[in-house]
Amino acid sequence: MKKNRKKTGRPFLRDLFKKKPLAAASLIFLLLLFAAAIFADFIAPYPMTDGAMQVDVFSKLQKPYLFMNAAERESARALLAVSGGAPHWLGTDTLGRDVLSYLIYGARTSIILCVSCCVLSTLISVVIGTLSAVLGGWVDLIVQRFVDGWQCIPAMLMLLVIMSMLGNGIPQLIFALSVPSGIGGSRMIRSAAMGVKDAGYNKMSDLMGGTSGWKMLRHVVPNILPIIIVAAAGSLAGVILMESSLSFLGYGVAIGTPSWGYLISNQGKSYMYVAPWLAFAPGAAIALTVFAANMFGDGVRDLLDPRLKGGVGSYDSKKIAKKVARLTGVLPERVPGERFIHTSVKEG
Amino acid sequence: MGKYIVKRILLLIPTVLVVCVLTFAMMRMLPGSALDFMVKRLTAAGQNVDVETLRVRLGLDKPAVTQFFIWIGGVMRGDLGNSLFQYESVGGIIARELPVTLELGFLELFWTILFSVPLGLWCAARQDGIPDYTFRVFAIIFMAIPTFLVASVVLVYPAAWWGYAPNIKYAGLFQDFRANMGMFLVPSIIGALAQTGMQLRMVRTCCLETMRTDFVRTAWAKGCGEGRVLVRHVFRNSMIPVVTVIGGSVAGVFGGNVILENLFNIPGVGQQLITALDQRDYTVIQGCVLVMAVIVMLINLIVDICYKWLDPRVELD
Repeated sequence: MKKNRKKTGRPFLRDLFKKKPLAAASLIFLLLLFAAAIFADFIAPYPMTDGAMQVDVFSKLQKPYLFMNAAERESARALLAVSGGAPHWLGTDTLGRDVLSYLIYGARTSIILCVSCCVLSTLISVVIGTLSAVLGGWVDLIVQRFVDGWQCIPAMLMLLVIMSMLGNGIPQLIFALSVPSGIGGSRMIRSAAMGVKDAGYNKMSDLMGGTSGWKMLRHVVPNILPIIIVAAAGSLAGVILMESSLSFLGYGVAIGTPSWGYLISNQGKSYMYVAPWLAFAPGAAIALTVFAANMFGDGVRDLLDPRLKGGVGSYDSKKIAKKVARLTGVLPERVPGERFIHTSVKEG
Repeated sequence: MGKYIVKRILLLIPTVLVVCVLTFAMMRMLPGSALDFMVKRLTAAGQNVDVETLRVRLGLDKPAVTQFFIWIGGVMRGDLGNSLFQYESVGGIIARELPVTLELGFLELFWTILFSVPLGLWCAARQDGIPDYTFRVFAIIFMAIPTFLVASVVLVYPAAWWGYAPNIKYAGLFQDFRANMGMFLVPSIIGALAQTGMQLRMVRTCCLETMRTDFVRTAWAKGCGEGRVLVRHVFRNSMIPVVTVIGGSVAGVFGGNVILENLFNIPGVGQQLITALDQRDYTVIQGCVLVMAVIVMLINLIVDICYKWLDPRVELD
């Protein structure tokens, strides 16, 4: 029993590392970012004091130490010897704030948003989707018209309206980003829940007097869990991009909260030519994180989404050839894969 | 088919109503009303303001529900009301600015399809080859880099290096084609990059799935050339999921243009919306959001009809 459990204990993580190395690497990157966000005060070379980044007007707009030549490094070090502190690896902004520290604290904002939006929007879409599917009838009709209407309003407009309704700040952003995506995502959950609604176990539950709530929690949700996880993982990247876009337009975090998008719009855009690192460092941070989130989401989808399992999506001609060879004992000359036929037709 | 279209159009009515209620409710939930902003602005300009007369003139003295029905009554007669701040009707503003946003949106879609469909097909045809990897890597990169960063870079560096910048003065498409393209070409391509990344991957996956079907093998066996197999058999049968995704991205394309319009100074609905939001110009926001939503709905309807046209097996219910 124990052995058996060990074998099936973490098939998902094992599969992720075995079959999807890129997704696994992305997961590690995201976890590192998570750790950096938590321990920002210890990692950042210039930690925040009293909730604000350290300002140093004498070393404003300093070039990244990383890209300095020897002479420049010498003078930078001379300056640091006076003021004390670590070299500015990614340069400084117009107020002399360390960009690397800013990015590390910005990661905190991004991670907080990512995690809470992911959880909240998934929760909203699961509640709306399963309720709509399980209750059916009038509830379904009305809820679905509401979802229809909501989805027709372009997302960015909706976000702008909600953000100007609530004002700037992280809690407001969490609400603004997760409610629309939760309502939008409820579609997928609803159709998945519709698929299992009439399954035998649900009918059995009805017969045994199970209430709708019981059915939802004990039968429907566990059975569509893979799809829920896929949807949650897939929403990660969008949160980061949307947050930075909103901060860029001035509708994002409150002033003073470090945010990658805000750094680009506030300073990076205006100093693009003089101090390109102010735009490219946070830009790279956003791009890397979105890339990792995308890859992780894709990996999770490939592993968990039942709609992709066993279908043509996971077709691997070499593997099938091996299987056929093992079963029949002969190596097949032709395998039903397009490359094989392609070449054989051309040669023949 | 005709019955289906009529049914879908009838179903649009409750959806439009929901959009109306939603936008109206959200407008009234915004902190600070149009009245406050107008009073502030007029007092700042040194004018004497009688708050109550202004309230009556703006129609804000009635209860919100009454205001809603007055507005919705106007909408049904095709009258979106007048802007509270500009001496213009909302219909006039939209008629002036919607074509600009639509042009940007459609250009963006055009580039997206032009880049993603042939490249996606090529990637699928040469799976795991050099072009496949190159384009896939680029697709993922374009998806990850935020649009506003690309746009800012494109605005700054060409201007500094070669003295080139996109036009910032709007000219109508039919009045001055060159000036118009000078304004729209660059932002539309930038907007299309991220979309292309997503679509290319989608097209590739769909085509790969189709390539493994029996009828494609039969086509090879019949002795069809590669071009014929790819275009007539693979591509046509992979279109359904692709059309779905393109339809889904339409809402994003039109809504996401706020940033591009902002950066490239394009006088579209997005720009108008940001100004109107700052001023709490209720009627303008309601009108713009409503019109955008109706356009998205109609495009979704067209996409659904395209399904049937592309694949007669699809059951329309």
